Amino acid sequence: MPYFGSEEMVKELKRALSNPNVQADRLRYKNYITKVIRYMTQGLDVSALFMDMVKASATVDIAQKKLVYLYMCTYASDKPDLALLAINTLRKDCADPNPMVRGLALRNMCNFRMPGMTEYIEQPIVAGLRDKASYVRRVAVLGCAKMHSLQPNTDIDGTIVNELYALLRDPDPVVVVNCLRALEEILKDEGGVVINKPIAHHLLNRMKDLDSWAQSEVLTFLLRYRPRSDDELFDILSLLDSFLQSAHAHVAVATLRLFLQLASAHPAVQADALLCTSAPLLATCGAASRELRFAGLCHVQQVMRSQPGLFGTHYKRFFCGYSEPTYIKFRKMEILVELVNDENVALVLEELRSYCTDVSPELAQAAIAAIGRIAQTYSEKCLDILTGLLALKQDHITSAVIQMFRDLVWFCPQSTAAVCQTVEACVDSPQDSEALLWLLGEHGDQISSAPYVMEGYIDGLKTELSSAVKMELLTASVKMFLCRPAETQDMLGRLLHYCIEEESDVCVRDRALLCYRLLQRGVEETRKVVTGPKSDPSMSVLTGRQEEPISQWASTFNTLGPLSGCDLCPQTAVISAADQPSSSAEKELLPESTDVTLSSPDDTEEEISLSLGPPLSHETFEKMWLDLEILQRQTMGFPRPRTALDTLQAALQLVKIQTLAFTPGATVPWKAYIYTRSTGTLILAELLQGDQHAPGIDESLVVSVKQQPVNQHAIRGFVSILKGVLQTLNVDSS
Amino acid sequence: MAASAIFILDLKGKVLICRNYMGNVNINEIDNFMPIMMKREEDADLSPVVIHGSTHFLWIKHSNLYLVAITKKNTNAALVYSFLYKLVEVFTEYFKSLEEESIRDNFVTVYELMDEVMDFGFPQTTDSKILLEYITQRGHKLEVGAPRPPATVTNAVSWRSEGIKYRKNEVFMDVIESVNLLVSATGSVLRSEILGCIKLKVVLSGMPELRLGLNDKVLFEITGREKSKSVELEDVKFHQCVRLSRFENDRTISFIPPDGESELMSYRLNTTVKPLIWIESVIEKFSHSRVEIKVKARSQFKSRSTANNVSILVPVPSDADSPKFKTTTGQAKWVPEKSAVEWNIKSFPGGKEFMMRAHFGLPSVESDVLEAKRPITVKFEIPYFTVSGIQVRYLKIIAKSGYQALPWVRYITQSGDYQLRTN
Repeated sequence: MPYFGSEEMVKELKRALSNPNVQADRLRYKNYITKVIRYMTQGLDVSALFMDMVKASATVDIAQKKLVYLYMCTYASDKPDLALLAINTLRKDCADPNPMVRGLALRNMCNFRMPGMTEYIEQPIVAGLRDKASYVRRVAVLGCAKMHSLQPNTDIDGTIVNELYALLRDPDPVVVVNCLRALEEILKDEGGVVINKPIAHHLLNRMKDLDSWAQSEVLTFLLRYRPRSDDELFDILSLLDSFLQSAHAHVAVATLRLFLQLASAHPAVQADALLCTSAPLLATCGAASRELRFAGLCHVQQVMRSQPGLFGTHYKRFFCGYSEPTYIKFRKMEILVELVNDENVALVLEELRSYCTDVSPELAQAAIAAIGRIAQTYSEKCLDILTGLLALKQDHITSAVIQMFRDLVWFCPQSTAAVCQTVEACVDSPQDSEALLWLLGEHGDQISSAPYVMEGYIDGLKTELSSAVKMELLTASVKMFLCRPAETQDMLGRLLHYCIEEESDVCVRDRALLCYRLLQRGVEETRKVVTGPKSDPSMSVLTGRQEEPISQWASTFNTLGPLSGCDLCPQTAVISAADQPSSSAEKELLPESTDVTLSSPDDTEEEISLSLGPPLSHETFEKMWLDLEILQRQTMGFPRPRTALDTLQAALQLVKIQTLAFTPGATVPWKAYIYTRSTGTLILAELLQGDQHAPGIDESLVVSVKQQPVNQHAIRGFVSILKGVLQTLNVDSS
Repeated sequence: MAASAIFILDLKGKVLICRNYMGNVNINEIDNFMPIMMKREEDADLSPVVIHGSTHFLWIKHSNLYLVAITKKNTNAALVYSFLYKLVEVFTEYFKSLEEESIRDNFVTVYELMDEVMDFGFPQTTDSKILLEYITQRGHKLEVGAPRPPATVTNAVSWRSEGIKYRKNEVFMDVIESVNLLVSATGSVLRSEILGCIKLKVVLSGMPELRLGLNDKVLFEITGREKSKSVELEDVKFHQCVRLSRFENDRTISFIPPDGESELMSYRLNTTVKPLIWIESVIEKFSHSRVEIKVKARSQFKSRSTANNVSILVPVPSDADSPKFKTTTGQAKWVPEKSAVEWNIKSFPGGKEFMMRAHFGLPSVESDVLEAKRPITVKFEIPYFTVSGIQVRYLKIIAKSGYQALPWVRYITQSGDYQLRTN
């Protein structure tokens, strides 16, 4: 930010700095230099003083030296030719008897980010690596990395790399860790520093001497090491055991990540480690600093993806404090929803209810949404609370509650009657009318006052701004007309008239025209188009959350991923999923399944290859399933395999088909949702047996396939592979 | 961890200090930070990680400053936050209070410190005790010749320098327990925990070896003294000077202490204890006319202890006026800037009960703004008492030179996050 009159100021400073009288009075001289730095900090361009500042570097006062070096580091890239003048002084300082001065000079010399610097700093760095003072060695080691980053595309200097590897045995712990950091930077393109057995064991033995930053970083480096045998593995784990309970949250979490990775073949060990770390994690969730608390909560959420029960007894720890920021409260509520069980449901609901009346509307709505999610399991208790909230007559609360009602009716049809009763009692037009209109349209037959409420909306149509509401109103009115024609006919006419004749929004007009023409085709035709299912019982299959395997999230644990709510490195997630070998038992069960699949007789098409790719979340799957059209529905001609569901899942996994969810074995109709990827498309499919709408073929399995983007060839391949697997399983089990 | 750069900003987002450690980010990236923050704040979608393109801003707020770390790598978030807080701790140690003013006044020292605590994005020396030995605030004085790097920078015992000498050798030990309590509006205890810590002030010469004995339950079980009164500690964390292996083996706490003040250990107890000070409150609001508040405070600890400086903060509507108070003890006063009544009781003996009544007028025109339901908060301090019953059985000082040293132990229980929700 250039200040008014800044040029004057720079000139004045220049005059002062070059004044021999000032230079003679060292205190005054230093004050001027401080002034220069102050202006620099304020964003003023003082690079014009470079020459004078270089001169000032020749001083015995170390504080002044530091200031001048800071100045030079800032402007070196702008004035490379002038910066070279300072190099001599710096190089002289690098040979100073005082290690402090040596270190300082070397560090700053490496910080000059300008081309051509390498030739000047290489020799002092190499000398610094062998310095007897560890302070200088620390600086020199990182200097190697800085030197490399100045010229990223040059060949790696083998001697320096070897020297750094040798310095891993340095007595000073910070030098050791700096070596790792530097090697990691230098060997970035080759996959970073190599952790072999001697290095790993050496690092493990030094762990105790390191400070907490270094510990946490070394633990991350150790992720690369694969122990040769189980004995070695357990030796390492017992060595690291105490770090699981470290006083520093970041060390405890880093240790946990290492445990999860090393013990990926020993689920019991993983579970133990999670149990051990639950105390420090919980402590982090109550840390004094809100950011750490947030990080702790995010990691708790990750752990809960695999071990939902781990924090069950500690649910009270996730009650929100009054002064906590909203981002913490949101996370806590999400966790509370997951922790609900038969014993604590009353207390959790009581707590959530008290948040519903919070002054922040966002928070209140989130709390209501949380209750709504719990309602999918404990509908009665939640309905009572939600109904109670309606009595408050707060707009934002009412609209959130109505939205929850809509979702609830969709997911749990058994609560429809209760919801309709409540809606009946409270319908004095809330803010968010979309959800209410949907409810009225869908269940108008059960809400006696529905037409009158709807009429209110139609009368106020001219003042309605949102086109989404208008469209919902159109659909709802048509639906209502179908079940209660006498009461609705007149207002539907007015509504259509208005929307076709006077509405300016094209979407609304189109929708109105569509409704109008539909009605012209007759009531039966309209009914066929407009009325869909009133709820989707199959969706309840998806809402029950499965326990995910730990490997699903372990790769992003203790990174920024869990905090920003998205997987920042999906690549690694893919690799870990593909690397994971299916357990040997599954292979024995299905020795020839793959062969059969690929050479099955009806596989006349050329082979297509399926791949797993990153896992889909339930929410994404659900959304896509609802959005996409069914491309192919095929009757398999045989019932589903009578094998255990685990086997089915494993068999599908073997041919690269992921199972998302399935109903328990004995239920009718039986359903399973599966998905896979193939040459750029994503294939989603539903397996259904015993569909009541098609009683004739109830013993046969029906597969419905959806896909994005469409690729018929891939679908045919997918179906034939699927058929092959299922047939093989049938043969095996019979 | 690799933080590419660290910034200190004022509340408006103006850069006070910036340090570009790695040179792989453009310093001007920081200009994106404030606009994103403002937008997020409007959407009530604030989070301690702000993302702009491939740049991640991890920030904390301290008094009127933002400390922001920029990183391009997928780093360990907890580590970055811990580091930023460590930075705050170091600055606070140096400047007493860390705020915009102190940063502006001491920017030279700030730069010096930032140079030492981190290099190329990696934390280096962050212990403020060690830093204080070679970066000093002699601001305007002239230093001729540089200080040597203190032995501690390279020492095996990195937390204590050699050759410390005192005329009188003493150790002061404070056992401080703070009680966190959350009580629902209906009067049921939602959360109650005790956070304890043992603080040391060491005035000892040379390299003394200290041994601390507590009435630790696990220790008593090992030594077969189960009958004595003991305490079960959870989540025990020690200063790095404590030999963890010995603690694991036989629960002995032995260490060479850092010089001066430090925190030796901390622990947590989840056992529910009776809330030390119990509050019953009735807040009746008669719209457009008045608010009547009745608060009953009861001390539920033994009568031989006394709570000092008890301060009970009761929320009142922000538009209340003309207060009237009546108390059976202590002083009540209205604190309009906090919209609360503060009831102060200098000394509150155990097993007693006191009352306070307050009466406020309300304006006849009601404001539309919905008021938050704020909790009643209580602050207190009970000396010579620990809720958990933890006791220091001995503190042995073994010095090679064999000098006599005096240990002093003090117990305090105080309120932590002590909240009782109101209706």
